[in-house]
Amino acid sequence: MFGLPLAFTVPAVLVALAGLPVLYYLLRVTPPRPRHVPFPPLRLMLDLEPREQTPAFTPWWLLLLRLLIAAALIFAVAGPILNPLPAGGKDKGPLLLLLDDGWPAAPDWDRRINAAAQWISAARHGGETVAVVAASQGAREILVSDAGHALEHLRAIKPQPYAPDRMALVPAIEKFMKAWPQADVVWVADGTERGHARQFADRLAHLAPHVTLVTSDQATYALAGPKNEGGAFAVRVLRSGTKGPAQGIVRALDRKGLTLGEARFDFTGPQAVSTTETKSQFDLPVELRNEIARLEIVGRHSAGAVSLIDARWKRRRVGIISGETADRSLPLLAPTYYLTKALSPFADVRQPRPGTVDPIASLLADHVAVLILADVGAVTGPDHAKLKQFVQNGGLLLRFAGTRLAASSGDLVPVRLRRGGRVLGGALSWERPKKLAPFDQKSPFFGLKVPNEVTVRRQVLAEPDIGLAAKTWARLADGTPLVTANRMGEGMIVLFHVTADTTWSNLPLSGLFVDMLRRIVALSNATGKTAVQNAAAGQGSSQKVETVPPTRILDGFGQLGPPPATAKPAPVNFSGVGTSEHPPGFYGPPEQLLAINAMQANDKLNAADYSGLGFTVQPLRQVAPTDLRPPLLAAAFLLFCLDALLSMWLGGGLRRRFGHATTAAFLLTFAALGALAFAPMPARADPRPADQPLSQRDLNSALNTRLAYVVTGDAEVDQESKDGLTTLSRVLAQRTSLTPGTPVGVNPGRDELAFYPMLYWPIVAGLPQPSPETVAKVSTYMKNGGTIIFDTRDALTARQNGPPTPEAQWLRQLLNGVDVPQLEPVPADHVVTKTFYLLDRFVGRYADGQTWIEALPPANPADGVRPARSGDGVSPIIITSNDLAAGWASDRSGEPLFTLVPGGDRQHEMALRGGVNLVMYTLTGNYKADQVHVRDLLQRLGH
Amino acid sequence: MSDVRLLDADERRVGHSPQDAAHDIARRLPGLIVAAKEVASSVMHGVHGRRRAGIGETFWQFRPFVAGEPATNVDWRRSARDDRLYVREREWEAAHTVWVWIDRSASMGFVSRLALQSKLDRALVIGLAAADVLMRGGERVGLLGSTRPLAARNIIERFAETMIAEERTSTFEAGELPPNAPLQARAQLLWISDFLSDPADIDDKIRRLSAMGARGHLAMIADPIEETFPFTGHTEFIDIDSPARLRVGRAEMFRDEYILRLEAHRDAVRAAAVRRGWTLLLHRTDRPASEALLALRMRLDAGSDPQLQKVLG
Repeated sequence: MFGLPLAFTVPAVLVALAGLPVLYYLLRVTPPRPRHVPFPPLRLMLDLEPREQTPAFTPWWLLLLRLLIAAALIFAVAGPILNPLPAGGKDKGPLLLLLDDGWPAAPDWDRRINAAAQWISAARHGGETVAVVAASQGAREILVSDAGHALEHLRAIKPQPYAPDRMALVPAIEKFMKAWPQADVVWVADGTERGHARQFADRLAHLAPHVTLVTSDQATYALAGPKNEGGAFAVRVLRSGTKGPAQGIVRALDRKGLTLGEARFDFTGPQAVSTTETKSQFDLPVELRNEIARLEIVGRHSAGAVSLIDARWKRRRVGIISGETADRSLPLLAPTYYLTKALSPFADVRQPRPGTVDPIASLLADHVAVLILADVGAVTGPDHAKLKQFVQNGGLLLRFAGTRLAASSGDLVPVRLRRGGRVLGGALSWERPKKLAPFDQKSPFFGLKVPNEVTVRRQVLAEPDIGLAAKTWARLADGTPLVTANRMGEGMIVLFHVTADTTWSNLPLSGLFVDMLRRIVALSNATGKTAVQNAAAGQGSSQKVETVPPTRILDGFGQLGPPPATAKPAPVNFSGVGTSEHPPGFYGPPEQLLAINAMQANDKLNAADYSGLGFTVQPLRQVAPTDLRPPLLAAAFLLFCLDALLSMWLGGGLRRRFGHATTAAFLLTFAALGALAFAPMPARADPRPADQPLSQRDLNSALNTRLAYVVTGDAEVDQESKDGLTTLSRVLAQRTSLTPGTPVGVNPGRDELAFYPMLYWPIVAGLPQPSPETVAKVSTYMKNGGTIIFDTRDALTARQNGPPTPEAQWLRQLLNGVDVPQLEPVPADHVVTKTFYLLDRFVGRYADGQTWIEALPPANPADGVRPARSGDGVSPIIITSNDLAAGWASDRSGEPLFTLVPGGDRQHEMALRGGVNLVMYTLTGNYKADQVHVRDLLQRLGH
Repeated sequence: MSDVRLLDADERRVGHSPQDAAHDIARRLPGLIVAAKEVASSVMHGVHGRRRAGIGETFWQFRPFVAGEPATNVDWRRSARDDRLYVREREWEAAHTVWVWIDRSASMGFVSRLALQSKLDRALVIGLAAADVLMRGGERVGLLGSTRPLAARNIIERFAETMIAEERTSTFEAGELPPNAPLQARAQLLWISDFLSDPADIDDKIRRLSAMGARGHLAMIADPIEETFPFTGHTEFIDIDSPARLRVGRAEMFRDEYILRLEAHRDAVRAAAVRRGWTLLLHRTDRPASEALLALRMRLDAGSDPQLQKVLG
């Protein structure tokens, strides 16, 4: 209805919608309740004849609201159903439900089952019987059951890992249609051509009069033709249509299911062959590529989107045959020793068993990809033909020179060779052993570094034919070829003009040899498989083919699992797609797995064409039918409540009862409740801010030296500290070259202390002790060169040798966890008494308290009498009891803010001088201890 | 749309039950009293001399001593500066009697959002403040029908207490018109009301009150809403002093007619007042009370000066 998946159980009720205009008119003329207004001068107009008694119109929004309520009620009574069930035909016979259960149906399997289940439910409502047929069930007879059983049957169907042939169903359907010619046929199709979809559809159109086709227009994705190519592992990515994402990711997994790599595919990118075929490449080292056991398209769960990789795609088999009769007792001298060692990291090295009559034939039968002939002369007879065919079919023949080859080369060499060889640097030669020249850009070895120590003492020489340079992959410094290669058919022959052992050169000893072999073997990409097929074609008919049992089988969703009972052992040379007998999966023993895939290397994935058959096509839906009655009724009720509230508001009733604010709050609450009921909860924003950057205060402190005091929490004391330090800062700016910034109160637990050279800490007994973390921070501050002036401010109450004051106790407790140096009363010759003014004590509000400072090392008598002594650094701690800040504090005109004890302007001045000295001490350290010698130094300079 | 409200019975009373009376005085009257005093102090009566020598405290002039006068009249301090003898004369100051009557009927308890105060509160503030100002000017002031003329310093409190005491009695009923108390010839009446009664009744009342030659000043308190009539839509108007109701479909249709009626009514009241030499002052509650008080003071001062009265009237 209206393009919406909406249906009504009682559509007739909708006629009532036509009454809405009438309602509109009625509502329009029915006024809202009048407002009651007390009006003292009413007497004046009581007798007024109303000129127009027509009441004011109902406000349009109220009208709209009421019409909405009415419409909602009408719709609710009409019984609207969103996404209604497909309407079942009446009395026409059973419903035949055909369900494609091949792997293309797997990705949206749940939707398919739901769609089918909805059809069955509809049939149940219609009292029909149902027959459920899965495409994989084949020619079995179709059984009709009631809807409940059909539903159970439906739920039991699982997608198959192969694409079943639907044509097998035709006879059973034919039989069924004969029994119930009027039966409805519903085909939940997977939309791909695999399994003869069109052919089957044609037949179905002939057999059944009413066919409903339920299909998804989303493309099916599949992987086909994985190839371990020269530089990368490539796989074809197919899709059946252009609907669906054009980009995606193919993931490579090893046998344990760990991800080895991911590669993108893009049907619109440069890799794309067509809009439905593209390629995905894994640029991985060959060792990792060999580990790949499975490729899958991420997010597409079907057997077709999985390619299983077995040994055929893995390490290439390399057969090695030596012309020499190997002496087993001296393996290090064997000509193949270095080859085996160099190849084994990335290839599967095969050697004929000792005593094999025909080693070449036996190795070729072993499906090698690369055959290495180390110093084998001319090959003749059937072996020659087999070798030639091997190369022409894509095999790679790698030959090494040697005395035998030099004697007779035959035609299986890339270039014509001169008889004999060339000896460099021997006893009878003038020439020195030759080094290798750097590789050409065209050479497959290009990029490999040529080690200097590789020398060649002997080689076979090529005839200088035309085209020799093009065939040469590597040459010696004098230009003679060292490695030559030539294509032959689909394969290639490569010749090393030296031996595979160290008799002619020391090349096999170098790392370069391994790299060269690696590149050559990598060139032999597809040869192994061709060889296998070739071998299978050659042997299949005559010999009894060995079979391997299924080990792990894919289910329709592309998950490996135990093999089903129907899976049969597969022949080792099985090369087709998976079927019901041989479902895709791994077969055989774990060390020699055979992979069968749902897609063949060259398979295409075509969308099925259902046009021109007269089918009723329905899209695959995802949603279940929803009865819209409850939400509509609820909405009508809520709107009604809103209407009631608004009416009260209009009539002034609410206001009279609750007043403005309450009314507004009430309406707001109501609106909010409504919004909550209908709107989804918004995502909660995470209010946690990122790491705090440096605060502006820290920035200021870092840019401008400023004095700091510890905020104790006692407002009076904090104010006192602030006043004192402000005055001191002012005095410093006036009298010294230091212009400190505004003093700042710090919290040692929270603020960064590193910016302050001096910290003034008044002690207030009775406040809680700072936390251990704070004490640790203070300790670090002191260790890093900061100075803290602890002021116990108890000079009045403290007595010599008396019990400690509460402040002193508090300070002791605080310093318990701090590494405090040994202290002493400030000695008269301490540098702190000389840094700016010459002082003998540090007075504050009180004059008689003692000031303690880090003890100096004892005076060295050798230095003689010095007016000032200092330690190595600045004392990290100064403890006083004189209440320095109160002594410093003054107003702008210089009058002290606190009553000093004993008192007088002189004491205030001396307190400030002490403060100046302390600040200078923290800033200049022991500088003044040396400065006092200036006069002596000048005198000495003068003489 | 302007919000209008009627003070409920409790709010309207100056004081209600005996138990709550004390609370009320504490809660409500002090505010009004303070307001009245504030207003009064801003409109000090100033010199209220009779501009001639007589019984009074204020110095008027020195005149030469006339033989035969009691020697005690001589102002020796002045006379010592001269050869002649002088007598200090003081200005003659005579006290008038001013009556105040404040309408406390239900219709006065009307307040709209546009107004600063209810009409009743405004009337009380003006009435009490005027009493205070007059008392300071040496007049004797009385609440018509409730007290005798007083000249007490705490006249505001006295009046307030009197009104509370009145309202405490069970038989109290706030009338729209002042009682028919006789007014002496030289007395003046300050009648503060909204004058929404029948103009004929008002005219009759003025006639009776001024029968012995008393003069009066009508202060008509009006709420701004009563003048602007900002109502629209379906409205039911409720009268306050009577059970009358009027339901109108579209109130805005009545606006022009109403304003005409109101003007006519006011003209009628004004005519009734002017006919007997009384004055009418129109005061809206969205204006400050001191404004009305200042105008009233001028009129009261001019009460004995027909020339000035003519100008103001």
